[in-house]
Amino acid sequence: MEDLLKVSNLNTEFKSDYGSKPALNNISFNIKEGEVLALVGESGSGKTVTSLSIMGLLPNNASVENGEIKLLSKKNKEINILNLSDEKHNEIRGNDISMVFQEPMTCLNPTMTVGEQILEVIIRHKKISKINAKKEMIGLLELVEIPDPIQRSIEYPHQLSGGMRQRIMIAIALACSPKLIIADEPTSALDVTIQAQLLELLKKLKNSIVTKTSILFITHDLGIVKELADRVIVMYQGKIVEEGNVLDVFENPKHSYTNNLIQSLPEFKIEKRKQNKIIKKETNNKNIILSIKNLYKEFPVDKGIFKQSSESVKAVQNVSLNVRQNKILGLVGESGSGKSTLGKTIIKLIEPTSGKINFKNQDISNFNRQKMQNIRQKIQMIFQDPFASLNPRKNILDTLMEPILVHKLMKKNEATEYIKQIIHDVGLPIESLIRFPHEFSGGQRQRIGIARALVLKPEFIIADEPVSALDVSIQAQVLNLLETIKETYNLTMIFISHDLSVIEYFCDEVAVMYLGHIVEMAPVNELFSNPKHSYTKALLSAVPKVKAKKTNKILIKGDIPSPINPPSGCVFRTRCPNPTHDCKEGNIQMGLIEVSPNHWVDQCCVNCH
Amino acid sequence: MNFFLKKLLIVIPTLYIAWTVVFVTLNIIPGDPVNLMLGGRPASDEVRENVRKNLGLDKPVLERYGSFLVNATKGDLGKSYLTRQPVTKMIKENMMPTIELSIGGLIFGVFFGVLFGIFAGTKPNSIRDTISMIIALCGISLPSFWIGMMLIYIFGTTLGWVPIVGDGFVSLILPSISVGLFFAGGMARLTRSSLVDVLNQDYIRTARSKGISKYNIILKHSLRNAMIPPVTLLGIQFGLLITGAVITEEVFARPGLGQLLLQAILAKDIPLVQALVVYMTAVYIFLNLVVDFTYGIIDPRIRLERKN
Repeated sequence: MEDLLKVSNLNTEFKSDYGSKPALNNISFNIKEGEVLALVGESGSGKTVTSLSIMGLLPNNASVENGEIKLLSKKNKEINILNLSDEKHNEIRGNDISMVFQEPMTCLNPTMTVGEQILEVIIRHKKISKINAKKEMIGLLELVEIPDPIQRSIEYPHQLSGGMRQRIMIAIALACSPKLIIADEPTSALDVTIQAQLLELLKKLKNSIVTKTSILFITHDLGIVKELADRVIVMYQGKIVEEGNVLDVFENPKHSYTNNLIQSLPEFKIEKRKQNKIIKKETNNKNIILSIKNLYKEFPVDKGIFKQSSESVKAVQNVSLNVRQNKILGLVGESGSGKSTLGKTIIKLIEPTSGKINFKNQDISNFNRQKMQNIRQKIQMIFQDPFASLNPRKNILDTLMEPILVHKLMKKNEATEYIKQIIHDVGLPIESLIRFPHEFSGGQRQRIGIARALVLKPEFIIADEPVSALDVSIQAQVLNLLETIKETYNLTMIFISHDLSVIEYFCDEVAVMYLGHIVEMAPVNELFSNPKHSYTKALLSAVPKVKAKKTNKILIKGDIPSPINPPSGCVFRTRCPNPTHDCKEGNIQMGLIEVSPNHWVDQCCVNCH
Repeated sequence: MNFFLKKLLIVIPTLYIAWTVVFVTLNIIPGDPVNLMLGGRPASDEVRENVRKNLGLDKPVLERYGSFLVNATKGDLGKSYLTRQPVTKMIKENMMPTIELSIGGLIFGVFFGVLFGIFAGTKPNSIRDTISMIIALCGISLPSFWIGMMLIYIFGTTLGWVPIVGDGFVSLILPSISVGLFFAGGMARLTRSSLVDVLNQDYIRTARSKGISKYNIILKHSLRNAMIPPVTLLGIQFGLLITGAVITEEVFARPGLGQLLLQAILAKDIPLVQALVVYMTAVYIFLNLVVDFTYGIIDPRIRLERKN
């Protein structure tokens, strides 16, 4: 196969008032025709800058200093992209090279129908009549498996789900049968189930029509690399540190950074733990510290002044669970499953609609604000976005001091010493106390978030996606920290995450949520080795893993239904891969049954399969 | 219920409140309209009583308030104390010149405002951006009487290109520029900042990745998305113009609602002031509706929100 794209000695710099900072340092690589090349690395490693350099879409403060990018164009002519004028480059963009971006929510123009946005690129480059272009557009929508393409084509982006929008982006990228498609984290913003659907689509496309099209796939997810790519390039701080066949690199990484990256994956850490025989004890003799019974939360839908609302968002439905002392309960599910709402309802940041919350043998569900004040000191939260949840105008000392003073835990000078101890425990230098949130990296900020939760000497912590915004290696560090902290401070935790491998690594027990219901609940080893509910099975198989052998995936169709009008009976029946007749008709009510000790599954799935 | 029907229902209480506020204020501020009518001439008590009776001012306040409301719903807003003509007729006579001037100002303002906005916004922090924004700032901050006089001096008297007074389209040019400059300045600044914001959006990068030309990116992808803030400003400023531009009318010696209102207030001509307030409130409400309607045309997301 011939080389389609040759990048040699590429140097790209970011300029600011303080001088220039190199983003790419002598990058050289080739992409062959029909090849899928993965570009992996952590944030800031230069993956996206590489792709934008090729596309000529660098932001104004960045520029290519020197180097060559040679492309074999559709007319089989070799052109150096960097020497092109903007007009000439525009001839290539969308035609020879096209791109799929990360954020499907913001990447489509909100004021144009999706059909228009696909048509535009066809007419721009193919110079064909509008009628013919329309036919091609409908064909493309069918190709990316959008149901009812004629109707969809006259809809606007906000009327489509995230997965659908990303399919539209793929259709736009495919429109002119380009030689190269650059996909920059195309599935990172989506749920695992939707991600699995899209990866399946990409695989299908790769194996069928677009045989001569190469894909440059940018991702931080090594599992996806394993699943999709032929060759992989590992980037670190603007340099290529490793390059090779996917299998070779994963089995036998040459560079220590690659090795670290692989070793910090939760799946490898779990394996290591198994090898060392540190299997988590599944003891149940511990006290139940938090117990929830039949908890409901429904948000009325706003209908305006004149109408009483009759509809509601059914966010949490009939949830019952127990958390034992010193254990970590994981809550997992797609976005919109009600995990976060459940977390916030437990400490009554959101008032529950009905149900009982028992914390240390006290029913707190009817507590007023004043009584809750004492409970809130005992139950603390860690949030997903540490930057957004820290006040940018307060230094760290003040941020950590405030809750102590509010709860009158200790005097100010005493508190300063105590805070120093905590900041040391979360692995930050004492000097950070006088600094402000913007001066820290993402991982450090999450450490501050943890410190803030710890200062009140809580007994219980609800962590809402605490590591989702972090890179894999940082994620591993923060998880380690949380584990140590849990032991030293004798904590019990609810850990909310959409990432199954993190849950498997970190939690003792897992509850799987779908549309406000818990559909399965079991100790972690039991759930991951012996999942019973079809939704759990689908979730587990959707996660791309580095180690996994090729198995048939259980794909679930479509998107999560609206929580305003959930399906009757079993809420999962509309997406269930193998529903029975009763199930389809919605005849089976929901409710958990204990199938083996401590393993609870929704009765619909027990009866069906 | 339909979104616009709801909005229309709010018109009635709004008008009612506006009238009441005007009625109360005009009745509590000191000064007797009878004195103003007599123009300071000494008059016997008998004459004063007669005038008072003629104007209907002898009746108790509440009765006057009540009859004002009743008549207003019939479309009769009373007669001017000063000229004894129906106030609706007086407003009608002064309305056309004001509308002409407003539309002239609007066209000038939108055209140059959006033009300078695009010019500056497509290349932020460049020389052309700085120059455009300085001109816009001048448009906002230079007082319109000064601009009016300068325009008359340069284009009217010195160069003699356009007549200063008179009827017809040509004589509208200078006053339109005079009121439109302020308009254009605001539009330019808002269009610029909104455009800079939109051009940094992800979907613009998508459009560029499709190979769409610079010209089409601005025209097809950016402008529509950037238009919501300028349209809001447009509604407010057009409202200001159409209720009368006193200073410009004065400088160019044009009739208009601004002049009429000024005279009515000075003469404490309660029926005329009330009628003008009714007119202005109605105009503002109407323009607000137009702006709301335009939002829906610009952004399909707003349209959808209203349907639900």
